[in-house]
Amino acid sequence: MRIFICGFGTVGQGFAEVIAKRREFLEDRYGCPVLITGAMDSRTYVIDRDGLDPIALVDRKRVTGRVGEDEYSDSVAVLDQAAYDILVEVSPTDVKTGGAGLRNITHALENGKDVITVNKGPLALKFHDLITLARRNKCKFRFEGSVGGAMPIINLCRENLRGEKIESIRGIFNGTCNFILSKMDKGQPFDQALKEAQQMGYAETDPTNDIEGYDSACKVAILANSVFGRNVTFDDVRITGITGITDEAIALAASRNMVIRLIGEVSENKLEVGPRLVPKGHPLSISGTLNTAQIISDLAGPITVSGRGAGRIETASAILSDLISIMDERTE
Amino acid sequence: MIVNAELFVKDLPGQLVGSIEPISLIDGNIMGVMHDRERIVNHRICVNITFEVEGQSQLEALKKIWKSKDIIISKLGSVYQTYTMDYLLIGDIDARYIEELINKANSLVTMDAVDVRYSSKANTSSKRTGLISVKTRSEEDLEKLDRFMDEECRKTNTIYVRGV
Repeated sequence: MRIFICGFGTVGQGFAEVIAKRREFLEDRYGCPVLITGAMDSRTYVIDRDGLDPIALVDRKRVTGRVGEDEYSDSVAVLDQAAYDILVEVSPTDVKTGGAGLRNITHALENGKDVITVNKGPLALKFHDLITLARRNKCKFRFEGSVGGAMPIINLCRENLRGEKIESIRGIFNGTCNFILSKMDKGQPFDQALKEAQQMGYAETDPTNDIEGYDSACKVAILANSVFGRNVTFDDVRITGITGITDEAIALAASRNMVIRLIGEVSENKLEVGPRLVPKGHPLSISGTLNTAQIISDLAGPITVSGRGAGRIETASAILSDLISIMDERTE
Repeated sequence: MIVNAELFVKDLPGQLVGSIEPISLIDGNIMGVMHDRERIVNHRICVNITFEVEGQSQLEALKKIWKSKDIIISKLGSVYQTYTMDYLLIGDIDARYIEELINKANSLVTMDAVDVRYSSKANTSSKRTGLISVKTRSEEDLEKLDRFMDEECRKTNTIYVRGV
């Protein structure tokens, strides 16, 4: 099995490490090696039909800031040069246009390649186009890590809860916002809490996507399409961020034994992201950077899952589970 | 649906059980029984029962059974549940704004109870916070109220945070 990794930032490197860690397990399970035959970051690429050493790739990126020596201007042209069966697309997301990720995924599917991605932009903008393209070309297309990182939710709903009618999903889908709101619970003003999130590496230098609710909105759109079979995009989500939440609001909520959390809600007729009052002790009142989701289904009732919503190895674990699913299907 | 029934049964042994048993027969769930031995009318004593049934057809079946057992139904009414929701409003708001909002909301849905709390004006910003706790009689009313609050807050650029 030959894999091309598109995007060699935190998640791409984490996935390479996970492939190295699970090499024996994968070989034992499928009787063939899993090879990384290509990798690219935002400027450079490296290709080897016989397979690249994942740890050497990570080391080179760490030392030189580049995954390869050759530079490129067109990622699709690089993909055309490589020999691969599965594209792992983990390049930086672009919520407005889908960016290079959308081009790479589309190109791979058009060429009959299976795709695993955690790139939210293409999924939140062109979900149905991509699914249709994958079906038409008989490709497998999986994206578990795009919502909730290591927290299983998409495959849980689509596979484990197959007989259920999922009535609604609501949850905390952005660890950065949850970290900030948790800090505000303890009396820290918004600006200070944001600064601390940035210092800890939870928030980007430009935190707009997180604190304005755009990141959560992408995930809500992905869940609406993949679990509820709706045909929506990021633009259909009603979004309110957390920038307007004051310390007085937090204190007033606390006086009623409640906390404020940024909650994404999706059902047949709901598609929202906004701050919500959550009673303390409720499954959605968790603190810190964790993600959590409450799935309401007709037979099983409420099911709550939680896990780390981001992180190099955590997100890579979701990609690994998608890889195993694809390889299981291929060997059936 | 939750139903409250006032029945009059003959003052004889086994009559109380005879009035309750039919509720189980129609798969109802008994929530409370009050046997008022001091209220006697025509040698019959009063039994007040609160129970939950799935729908009107089960209730009609129950009425038939009670009548066939010579149990007199003096009152039968539905008992309402209340649904609570909290709304936190953040913005350039004052007591008059909240009062007008509640008055408008009251003309849309039946609100059983409303409780309002305010923060004092924030030191760090001009924003003020109000927490409104509302009890309505149905989930539909709650949904209507949600929509109304959302629309009204958007008009005035007020941040609206509702309960889960």
